[in-house]
Amino acid sequence: MEDHKRLIGEFTEFLGAENVMESKVPRERRVFVTIKTDKLRDAVKYLKDHEGLTHITTITGIDSGDEIEVLYHLAKKDLSLGLRVMAPMEEPVVDSIVDIFNGAGLYEREVHDILGVAFEGHPDMKRLILPDEWPEGVHPLLKKWTLNKIRETIDGKEW
Amino acid sequence: MGKREFTIHVGPQHPALKEPENFVFKVDGEYVVDVEPRIGYNHRGIEKAMENRTYIQNLYIVERVCGICSNSHQTCYTQNVEELLGMEIPERAKYIRVLLAELERIHSHLLWLGVAAHEIGFDTLFYYIWRDREVVMDMLEEISGNRVNYAMPTIGGVRRDIAADKIPKYLKMLDVLEERTKFYKNICATEKTVLARADGVGFLSKEDAIRLNAVGPNLRASGVASDIRADSPYLVYDEIPWNVISYDSGDVFANVLVRVDETFESVNICRYCLEHLPDGPIRTIFSPLGKVPEGEAVSLVEAPRGELIHYIQSRGTDKPYRYKIRAPTLGNIPALCEKLRGGYIADIPIVLAGIDPCFSCTDRMVFVDEDRDKRWEMNGEQLRRYGVEWYK
Repeated sequence: MEDHKRLIGEFTEFLGAENVMESKVPRERRVFVTIKTDKLRDAVKYLKDHEGLTHITTITGIDSGDEIEVLYHLAKKDLSLGLRVMAPMEEPVVDSIVDIFNGAGLYEREVHDILGVAFEGHPDMKRLILPDEWPEGVHPLLKKWTLNKIRETIDGKEW
Repeated sequence: MGKREFTIHVGPQHPALKEPENFVFKVDGEYVVDVEPRIGYNHRGIEKAMENRTYIQNLYIVERVCGICSNSHQTCYTQNVEELLGMEIPERAKYIRVLLAELERIHSHLLWLGVAAHEIGFDTLFYYIWRDREVVMDMLEEISGNRVNYAMPTIGGVRRDIAADKIPKYLKMLDVLEERTKFYKNICATEKTVLARADGVGFLSKEDAIRLNAVGPNLRASGVASDIRADSPYLVYDEIPWNVISYDSGDVFANVLVRVDETFESVNICRYCLEHLPDGPIRTIFSPLGKVPEGEAVSLVEAPRGELIHYIQSRGTDKPYRYKIRAPTLGNIPALCEKLRGGYIADIPIVLAGIDPCFSCTDRMVFVDEDRDKRWEMNGEQLRRYGVEWYK
C-alpha cells in the first residue's frame, strides 16, 4: 500500500496537482486515478516508462450521465491501475494511445463501438463487435439506449 | 510484390475451433504477408444484459459467458461483488473455489491438446486425449452435478460441499490424469508429427509478447513468467505451493509444453486442496434482495487462457451500474496476428489454435479483404486438410 501511495505522489508531482482530480487506493494491488482528459498521453507514457506499467489489460467505457468515463486498466506484476479520463457526452473525444500501447487498438475500437467515443489518432477505427449492418449512432452501452429502444430501432430492419 | 499477393477469406465458420470468426489473409505464394481480424459473430450483449439484472441473476448470466472456463467468470464476478460488500468468504469455500478452478484448467488444457493434435492431422492422439479428459469431466460432474456449467461459486462462498468420503476417490482420479498427461508429454516431445508441425512454428518473441500485451499460456510460451495466480494472488493461491510455468522458444511447441506442464501443476494444486481442505462452513449469507454499496472494483483471475478482468461499478442498487468483461482471447489477438505474419498458409490452423482462442468469451473476429486481382475462400476444415496434406 505504501508503494501505491508513493506512486500516486510522484505521479501527481509529474502531472501537476491541478491535473489530477482524484486518486484512491481501495485495497492492496489496486489504484484508481482520475486526470484531466488532455493529459492522458503524458500520463500513460509516464506510467509506462517510469512505473513499469507495460501491460494494458483493457479499456472500460462507462456512461455516467453528462460524461463518458474512459478507464484504462494498466498493469504490472503486482498492481492494476485504473487511469480515468472524462469525455463530454455531446462530443466524446479522447486521444488514442495505440502508439504507446500497441495492444490497445482493439480495446479502443470496442469502446468506440459500444459508447461512441472517438479516439483521435487511432490508425484503423473500424467496427469491431457490432455487425456491419448495425444502424449508425446506436451505441448500445449508452444508458439512453434502453433494451426496448434498441429492439424498436433494430426490429423490422433489413439486417 | 503488388499483383503477386492474394487475399484468402477464412471463416466465419470455424477456422480453428468450432466457433464463428472470419480472418482475411493476404498471402504471397505460400507465405502469409498480413492478416486482419474482425470479430463480432458471437457477441451476445452480456454486459448490457447484466446492467438490467440483479446480482443474483447475474451469477447465472456471467457463468454463460464461456462454455469452457465458466467457473473462471463466476469466480471473477463473485470476487468483485464480495469486495464491494466487504464480505470475507470462509476458508473452506476458498479452497473449493481453487479446486474447481484447477479442475477446469485441467479439462481446458487437455481439450486444447486434443484440438491441437487434430489441427495437425494427428487424430489418434486427439481421440486418446479426449477419452482420458473424461476422467476430469467425471470428477467435475460428481462434485458439482454438471459437466460444463458447475454453478459452484456464489456470492459469499460456494454452493456445494466436498464430501469427505469421496476424497480418496478423487485423489485416485488425479493420479490417473497425471499418469496419462505424462504419457502425452512424452509423445509430444518425441513424436515426429508433432515436432514437424509445432517446433519453430508460429514464433512470437518475448519483446513482441510484452509489446502486444499478450496474456496467459501464450505469453508464458514466449518466456515471460507472468501468471495472475502468482503476480496478484487471489483466493488461497499464495498458501499453496506451485510453480509458474514458462518456456522460451515462443513457438507452438512451447505452447504445448506450457499447457502440459501447467496440467501437472494443476493436478498438484487439486491434491493439495483435497488434502488440506479446512473445516467449517462453505458460505456466508447474501440476501437475494441484497443491494450492493456504491463503489467500483477490479477483479483479476488467471483463466485457463490467461488474464481475465472484470470491472464493476455499483451505484448502490440491486443491479450493477456497469459491468465490463475482458476475456483473455481478445488480449491475445494482436499477438496472434504477429505470429501468423511470415508463416506458411499450411500453418494457419495450428498457429490459430495455438493461442487456444475462445470466441464465445471474447466474441468477436473477422478478417477483412482488400481488393486484389485474385481471391479464394476456404473454410476451416478445408484449411486444416490443406495443412495436413502440405506437410505429407
